[in-house]
Amino acid sequence: MQKILHTPEGVRDIYSTECEQKLILQEKLHNVIRSFGYHDIETPTFEYFDVFGRDIGTIPSRELFKFFDREGETLVLRPDFTPSIARAAAKYFLNEDMAVRLTYLGNTFINNSSYQGRLKETTQIGGELIGDDSADADAESIALTVQLLLASGLKDFQISIGHVGFFHALAAEAGLDEGLTAQLQELIANKNTFGVQKLLSDKEIPPAQKKAFSSFTGLFGTQEILAKARELTENAQALSALDRLQEIWDILCMYGVSKYVSFDLGMLSSYMYYTGITFRGYTFGTGDAVIKGGRYDRLLHCFGKDAPAVGFVAVVDELLSALSRQKITQEISCSHCMLLYEKDQLSEAVTKASSLRSQGIEVELVRITEDRTREKCRNYAKNCTLVVEL
Amino acid sequence: MEKETRYLTFALTKGRLAKKTMELFEQIGISCEEMKDPDSRKLIFVNEELKLRFFLAKGPDVPTYVEYGAADIGVVGRDTIQEEGRKIHEVLDLGFGKCRMCVCGPESARQRLNGQELIRVATKYPGIAKDYFYNRKNQTVEIIKLNGSIELAPIVGLAEVIVDIVETGSTLRENGLVVLEEICELSARVVVNPVSMRMENERITGLLSRLNDVITQEG
Repeated sequence: MQKILHTPEGVRDIYSTECEQKLILQEKLHNVIRSFGYHDIETPTFEYFDVFGRDIGTIPSRELFKFFDREGETLVLRPDFTPSIARAAAKYFLNEDMAVRLTYLGNTFINNSSYQGRLKETTQIGGELIGDDSADADAESIALTVQLLLASGLKDFQISIGHVGFFHALAAEAGLDEGLTAQLQELIANKNTFGVQKLLSDKEIPPAQKKAFSSFTGLFGTQEILAKARELTENAQALSALDRLQEIWDILCMYGVSKYVSFDLGMLSSYMYYTGITFRGYTFGTGDAVIKGGRYDRLLHCFGKDAPAVGFVAVVDELLSALSRQKITQEISCSHCMLLYEKDQLSEAVTKASSLRSQGIEVELVRITEDRTREKCRNYAKNCTLVVEL
Repeated sequence: MEKETRYLTFALTKGRLAKKTMELFEQIGISCEEMKDPDSRKLIFVNEELKLRFFLAKGPDVPTYVEYGAADIGVVGRDTIQEEGRKIHEVLDLGFGKCRMCVCGPESARQRLNGQELIRVATKYPGIAKDYFYNRKNQTVEIIKLNGSIELAPIVGLAEVIVDIVETGSTLRENGLVVLEEICELSARVVVNPVSMRMENERITGLLSRLNDVITQEG
């Protein structure tokens, strides 16, 4: 028996219809991002470890694919685009005073644990708006992601918006140490109210603040929850986070996308580089978010430029699987033609094919031979919209 | 913009937990007659009226189904949630299936838990044991994963102590073991998929608050 080579766990081939669907989807998404004035950028697939290291705060080091170059430097396959884009922007747009909008498309690699049914290589398309700290920029990113999901054909989806500043202001006010903050953050992110109550039960924190922390999990829904959150605290920073969210909501109403948007103050990302709003897009048919994004005003500083920034990413593979489970397909171009010819008709076939191609029709030449009879070729071409026989 | 109602899918832990859960669900008007037939070989049970689906799974698989959205809601013991460490929302304590996760062993092993000595710990829950010894006690240990009758390990000398669930403690007593330290309290929990929580917010929160009312009344 012939031995078949398999692909390693967590990576896969994408071919035929699925591949066509993916490419069309990517093109649509790219067009939407371009329509907001974003410019294309490509960064390397692997970079020095420091770009994705602990100080930057992406994913834990053990989940990175690492290898060495000839000098023994540690290299990493990018698990996330944002640090790469931030690095590149800090380098090439160092002297720009104006905002820079950059969009990228490519694959990311995360070495997550085995047998959990998760892909280790995923395609992401996203954008980063660098050098603008206004609520306008935040709202633009969110409005853009709504347009992205609409362009993909989804009808039923929600963008949840949170603000890490609200939680961090409360945590700082309560004087929680780093370890406790991290534990609390994880519990709140998982909406585990009992966990929060238990964790804080024997800590010396004023009861009002304990109550605020255990109310976090209830702080999600329409913009009304902003008022509810306001009652929980008098902390100036926390309140300014809420003001920001209110401002963003008002702008999103101008964009006319507010019906797709809800708030979730308990949404705390494990990416440590976020400093302001964070948002995620959810839809049926996939267990994870299809859109992720947020504001990261200190990340560029790590690469030598002080600039505020906000960005988003659409996880193409997750989106594609959600679309296929919701039975939404992208329209495939139907101008595919098969041209059947016999050996002595080659010159005629080439001329014909060229003329068809110049009219924008996709032409596939199919040569009839003794093994591949006319009958077999016809059968092969039967699903094709256009067949030309010579 | 609401279209036809989608099925809300529940993953329940096979056995006693599932039975208790269904009893509780009946109190808030959710029943599933199909499930009561003990001879049924069906894997999925449907309540057409309320558009609900139920299926039974092994405990450790429930968080997996919920994480990937194959089930919107799951009912599972807290031990399993902690051990699996999945990205799911733990939203409600059902209050039954109460027990404790403990470090147990012969009385003579107690002093070895206070030193820096490398001891062997046998358990079905390597994740929980590791977290407890490494992060909470700061003691380096060697963890031995077993699949059942954990109490045997210290008796036959495979390990110094064990980490296991203790309900009444009678198995321990009969084998000359005692609870040395308590790690945490356990009970049945409701877990929810993060995406479902947002997309089906009204239905799920409504259900949870009704469940919560019944539990607090009883409690």
